Amino acid sequence: MTAYAKPLPRVTPDNRPFWDAARRHQLALPRCQECGRFRYPPGPVCPDCLSERAEWTPVSGRGRVTTFVVFHKAWFPSFAADIPYNVIQVQIDEGPRLTANLVGVPNADIRIDMPVEVVFDDVTPDITLPRFQRARPR
Amino acid sequence: MTGIRDRAAIIGVGTSPFVTKTPASPMRLAAQAFKAALADAGLGKDDVDGLAINIGWPLGVDYDRFAETLGLRLRFADQSWTHGRFAGPTLQHAAMAVASGLARCVACVCGVSFIQERGLLGGPGDFEGTREEGGTHEENPVYGLTAPAAGAALSAQRYFALYGATSAQLAAVPIAFRKHAMLNPQAIMRTVLTLEDHQMSRYVIEPLHLYDCCVISDGAAVVLVTTPERARDGARPPVLIGGMQGMRAGRDEFLFGLPGLGIGQQRAFRYTPTEDELLVYRMAGVTHRDVDALYTYDAFSPLVWFVLERFGFCGLGEAATWTQKGRIELGGELPMNTSGGLLSEAHVSGWNSIVEIVRQLRGECGERQVTDARVMQWATAWGDSTIFHR
Repeated sequence: MTAYAKPLPRVTPDNRPFWDAARRHQLALPRCQECGRFRYPPGPVCPDCLSERAEWTPVSGRGRVTTFVVFHKAWFPSFAADIPYNVIQVQIDEGPRLTANLVGVPNADIRIDMPVEVVFDDVTPDITLPRFQRARPR
Repeated sequence: MTGIRDRAAIIGVGTSPFVTKTPASPMRLAAQAFKAALADAGLGKDDVDGLAINIGWPLGVDYDRFAETLGLRLRFADQSWTHGRFAGPTLQHAAMAVASGLARCVACVCGVSFIQERGLLGGPGDFEGTREEGGTHEENPVYGLTAPAAGAALSAQRYFALYGATSAQLAAVPIAFRKHAMLNPQAIMRTVLTLEDHQMSRYVIEPLHLYDCCVISDGAAVVLVTTPERARDGARPPVLIGGMQGMRAGRDEFLFGLPGLGIGQQRAFRYTPTEDELLVYRMAGVTHRDVDALYTYDAFSPLVWFVLERFGFCGLGEAATWTQKGRIELGGELPMNTSGGLLSEAHVSGWNSIVEIVRQLRGECGERQVTDARVMQWATAWGDSTIFHR
């Protein structure tokens, strides 16, 4: 098996629980224990009330595409074989927006507002990347 | 609210040659531009006691090395981080320094070799996305999202979908600026650009085509800022700073989009400019109608639409149609980036446009001169603005 050559996330004290949850195939975000709001990216305080009390809380992993792009230039040699590849932003039902790739959908079929759901890709023994696929009916 | 109105002025400007082939050291380019600015102002280097460097390490020159190399003795030094978005704020710091007596004459310096350092503009050598919680243009290298163009592409795609705008409409922006560059001997891109050229050019990051992205070039520009009293004794007519407002930041801001667009963590809402967003006009004592030409940071063509809507030259979602039929071209209702801008003149981080404003207000622009130019505005998609007048 060839080593994973693409950039890996920089795991920091603030975002470590995000990547720990992803490894368990769970999408979790910090939720303020004062005002109840979810936030992303992870940070030391709630941007609404500045409370430091937060709990990493599982979220639905369902949302809608808010924008997307298709890369035709390989800035990273490790992405060259994927050209043209997409990157999407997704607003999950709980509010924050995440950046990821959309899998299983031809680039030409990606639409803003398309309902999507999270899937997990174990790219190394330590790192699992959340990506998204077209939402299945529940 | 007159604020800094007419308390700072530009006494001289200078540029190095703008090039795309042979990389030159940023220090050499900056030195050339500095000497040109001194000659333009009729000043010697000992008249300069302040320095405001826009682009320092790793793309350009740091303030201390520049002062040492050029033999300056400074009592005011200011440096921003290596990003073009700080062009406007750097000029503002210089104006505030002379207005408050911290310096008599501040040299604003931008000297940059994008050719030599292009590895910083996306890919493995670009640190933007690996900083704590990502970069200013939404960089996220884990998913392959890299390079400043990505930020403009994210915004353009959503804007297209929200307002039914098209890439063919966006082409009006680079086509207009190319026409301006063709009248500018200093500009790098001087061959005609057609709608077909634009539409047939390769995608860089869809929906942005090649011609929606600026020139990668080397160059330097220097702008000398002093008090109006001293500027009146200069070799050329002074250009006064009428009003300013600062760069915006916060959760409702995304650098390469306007508030409300809904990129990253921005709230999605229908933006209309508030009084606070239009401070620069009140400070300068002018209205939109007084602005003879508008200049903006056009690293990517969608930024031109966003600045028009942000500052209320047109309504939300209207820029796509508003910019058609020559409206932003010389001779149109609101000429923009009359030197060709970053898209066609050169990428000197917007300083080439500040220099152009000064030359226009002094009536030196020959074939591309805006007739009877009195008031011109610098404004960016991220909300900073400075109004100049003669």
